[in-house]
Amino acid sequence: MSENIYTFLIRLFPSHFREAYGDAALQLFRDRSRDEKGFFPRLRLWLDLLADLAISIPREYRYAQAVRQQVAPVPGFHFVADESPGRGALLCGAVLSLVGIEAFSLLSGHFTKHQQVPRNIAALIGQVETGGQDGEQATERQRVLRQVIANLKQYYVDPNAAVQIANALKTHQASGDYDALTGAALADLLTRQMREVSGDRHLIVEYSQTPLPAQPPQGPTPESIARYRAAMEQNNCMFEKIETLPHNIGYLKLNAFPEPSVCGPTADAAMASLNHADAIIFDLRDNTGGFPDMVALMAAYLFDHPEYLYNPREKPTELSWTRSPVPGNKLADKPVYVLTSARTLSGAEQFTYDLKMLKRATLVGETTGGAAHAGVWHRIDDHFGMGIPEVKAINPFSKTDWEGSGVEPDVKVNAADALNVARKLAERQAEREIIYKRGH
Amino acid sequence: MPKRKLDPLPSAAFQILLSLAGEDLHGYAIMRQVAEQTEGRMRLGPGTLYGSIRTLLEAQCVEEVGEGAERRRYYRLTTAGRNLARAEADRLADLLRVARAKKIFKGDYV
Repeated sequence: MSENIYTFLIRLFPSHFREAYGDAALQLFRDRSRDEKGFFPRLRLWLDLLADLAISIPREYRYAQAVRQQVAPVPGFHFVADESPGRGALLCGAVLSLVGIEAFSLLSGHFTKHQQVPRNIAALIGQVETGGQDGEQATERQRVLRQVIANLKQYYVDPNAAVQIANALKTHQASGDYDALTGAALADLLTRQMREVSGDRHLIVEYSQTPLPAQPPQGPTPESIARYRAAMEQNNCMFEKIETLPHNIGYLKLNAFPEPSVCGPTADAAMASLNHADAIIFDLRDNTGGFPDMVALMAAYLFDHPEYLYNPREKPTELSWTRSPVPGNKLADKPVYVLTSARTLSGAEQFTYDLKMLKRATLVGETTGGAAHAGVWHRIDDHFGMGIPEVKAINPFSKTDWEGSGVEPDVKVNAADALNVARKLAERQAEREIIYKRGH
Repeated sequence: MPKRKLDPLPSAAFQILLSLAGEDLHGYAIMRQVAEQTEGRMRLGPGTLYGSIRTLLEAQCVEEVGEGAERRRYYRLTTAGRNLARAEADRLADLLRVARAKKIFKGDYV
C-alpha cells in the first residue's frame, strides 16, 4: 500500500528526474521501509519523505527549466507547462502535504535545530571579501606588521627568539613579500614565516572577516555564568551517555570538559556510577574540548597516586597533578580505552595525549584534530589578531605536542567503528584476566 | 549545470562527499552512512539524495562505478570531490578559529 503511494508521489517529479532516478528513489524507499519498522520509525520515515518532496520537487522543476534555458540562450518564452505532473498525483500530493505541514508544526523543534546551523555558517563563510583602496591596504599591512612585531617583543616567551622573528619579518617586508597581500593570505604568510624562524606551531596570525570585538570580555559576567550553568544543566554537563555495556564494560560519552565548579558533581556522579566496571571506555569522538581543570578531575579517577598532566597552556602548578587517589574509587587499575575522531579537539586532545603518554589508555579511532591552542590571543585591529605563547609549559613526554598534527591513536580505525573495536578489545582483555586468575 | 550550485556547498552534498571518503557506496548505503555520521540528524530522502548526487556527478565530484550486487549503482569520490570536501572542511576550521578568536569563554579551549 505505502509503496503504491510513494510510486504515485514520484510522479510529481519532472520526467528528467523520474527517468534518471525514479527506480533508484523507489528502491531507497523500499530499503528504508524495510529497515524502519514500527509506528514511530514509520511516521518519521513519512515525515522525512514529505519534507524531501517539498524541498526537492520545486528544485527539480527549477533545474528542468534551467536546462532548457541553457539549450536556448536567446531571450524568449519557455514552455514551462509541458512538465506539469498528473492531476491525481497533484491531489494526492496536496493532501499529504497538508498532513505533513500539520505534523511539521508539531515537530518543528526537531527540524529547525539542524537547519539553522548550516545557514549561519553559510552566511558567515559566504561573505564576500571586501577590499579597500590600494593605499589603505598598504597602510593596513604596515600597521599589522608593526603590531605583530611589537606584540612578539613584548609577550613572546623567548625574548631572543622574538627579536630573530621580528628581523626575519622585516627582511621579508623589505624584499616586498607582503605587497599585494591582504586579509587571510597576509595572515597565513606571516604565520608561516614566524613558524619557519621559531619552529613554534603555537604562533599564529589570524584574519577574521567579521570584525573582532573591541575588548576581549574581562572575565565572565554573572549573566554569562548563569547562561552557562543553565545550558550545562539542560545538557547533563555534556555527558551524553553513561552506561554499563555487556561484560561489565563502563561506557561514558562526554562531548566537552565543562567547568568543574558547575559540572564537578555531575562528573563525580558519572564516575561513581561506573565504579564497579571491569574496564572503561571514554567516548571523546564528539568532544571539542573545555577546561583543563575538568580534564584533571576526570583523569584523577584513573590513577592511584598524583600524576602530572601536561597542558601546553600552563606552567606546572600544583593543579597540574591529578588529585589521586580518589576515596572509594576502584577504577585506578582498570583498563581504559579512549575513542577518538578527527573532531576530537583541544582539551579532549589533552586528556587523550596525557593518558597515551602515561601509557594509561588504549586509543582507538582516528588521529585527533590537532588544536592545542596554547597561544594567548592579542587583538591587532578589527580584523587581525595573533596568538602568542607566553609561558613555557613543561612537556615531560615529547618535544612537541599535538598542535597541527593531532594525537595518533594506538588502534587506527574509522571513528564510526571505534566503539565496536574497543568493546572487542576490552572483552578480550577481560577474558585474559579471568584465565590468568584461574591459573593463580 | 553551472558549478556555482556547489558554492556554497549545501550541507547534504558535503555529507555525501564525506560518506564516500572511505569506500564506494550505493544510494541507500550513502543515506545510512550520512545518518550515522550525523548521528541521525540528517536522513536523506530520495529527492535530496539523488538531486545532490546528480549535481555532484555534473561537477565531476563523484562518479558512477557500474552496478554492484543487486544491480545498484555505486558512487565513488573523485579527486575533485575530495578537494571540494577538504576545502569545505578548511572553511569550517577557519570558522572555528573565528569562534575561538572571539573568546567565548575565558579560560576555555573552545
